[in-house]
Amino acid sequence: MAKPARLAAQGLAVALVAGLLALLVWRVVNDNGKGVAQKLDDGEHPTAPAFDLSRLDGRGHIDLASLRGRKPIVLDFWASWCVPCIQESKRLEAARKEYGDQIAFIGVDTKDFSGDARQWQKKHGITYPSVHDGNGSVLSDWGGLPIPRIFFVARSGKVVGQLVVEEDLPRYLRQIAAS
Amino acid sequence: MKRLFLLVLTALILVPVARASEQHPSLTELEGEVMCPVCETTLDQSSSPAAQQIKRVIANRIAAGDTKTQIKDRLVAEYGNAILAAPPRKGFGLVAWWLPVIGILAAAVAVGVGAWRWARAREPAPVGPPLDPALERRLDDELRRFEG
Repeated sequence: MAKPARLAAQGLAVALVAGLLALLVWRVVNDNGKGVAQKLDDGEHPTAPAFDLSRLDGRGHIDLASLRGRKPIVLDFWASWCVPCIQESKRLEAARKEYGDQIAFIGVDTKDFSGDARQWQKKHGITYPSVHDGNGSVLSDWGGLPIPRIFFVARSGKVVGQLVVEEDLPRYLRQIAAS
Repeated sequence: MKRLFLLVLTALILVPVARASEQHPSLTELEGEVMCPVCETTLDQSSSPAAQQIKRVIANRIAAGDTKTQIKDRLVAEYGNAILAAPPRKGFGLVAWWLPVIGILAAAVAVGVGAWRWARAREPAPVGPPLDPALERRLDDELRRFEG
């Protein structure tokens, strides 16, 4: 092989390896591999990851970051194929009657068919707004499957906790309402 | 000639089959081409509630007369590209289709160049110009003396 051609091939190979290395570093730096749920398990209280998704009812979109500093949030990850989600969402719907003025209740319909999701809300009388997270990317940021997952976000935007046992629901609601 | 005839015949058989599959897809074939969003397998390998939901939607769309592309487009609009078992043959998805072909071609070229260089290195050294007769005689004398 002629010398310039060999040099060009070697340069290309080095550039390729450097590119792959840079990609690896970027991935490691930008993805610490932990969702909100895992950080809570570790005793951290991370800032709620932002999202801006279309509402299921077609009335615009919800930008979570825009609520920071304005209202505490209850975030409910659900899907119409998820059987346990029915009871959890109904509990939140009941809680909304008491705390609806102080707390924003937001559903995140994830990995679901939006038509089925709308029917599901109607069937079970869920009236708080939900956004559609079809590919599950927002769910991944918050900890991934399984669902239901319910998070409580203080007015400051910090995630206070995740519902693990039903008895914690009133305590979390009081805590974020007072934040 | 015979080979060309077979090739044309195969194409004539396969094209209508592909067109029929596009116009009137079956649930079974789509179950093998669509992923279950919660179990990381294709629908045909899952009986999870999420998979059942998508199977039902596909069956409804087939009954409504949708083509395979229309059904897949609808699923992608709801779940994103990850719902397809194979990447789409357009946009960035083309990289996944062409990269293996380019890799194989590049490897073939590398092997070909390597083989050609190796074969060239093993060729006998070219014979030089004939020796001067006087020098050749002298060389023969030297060899005879050395052997004698």
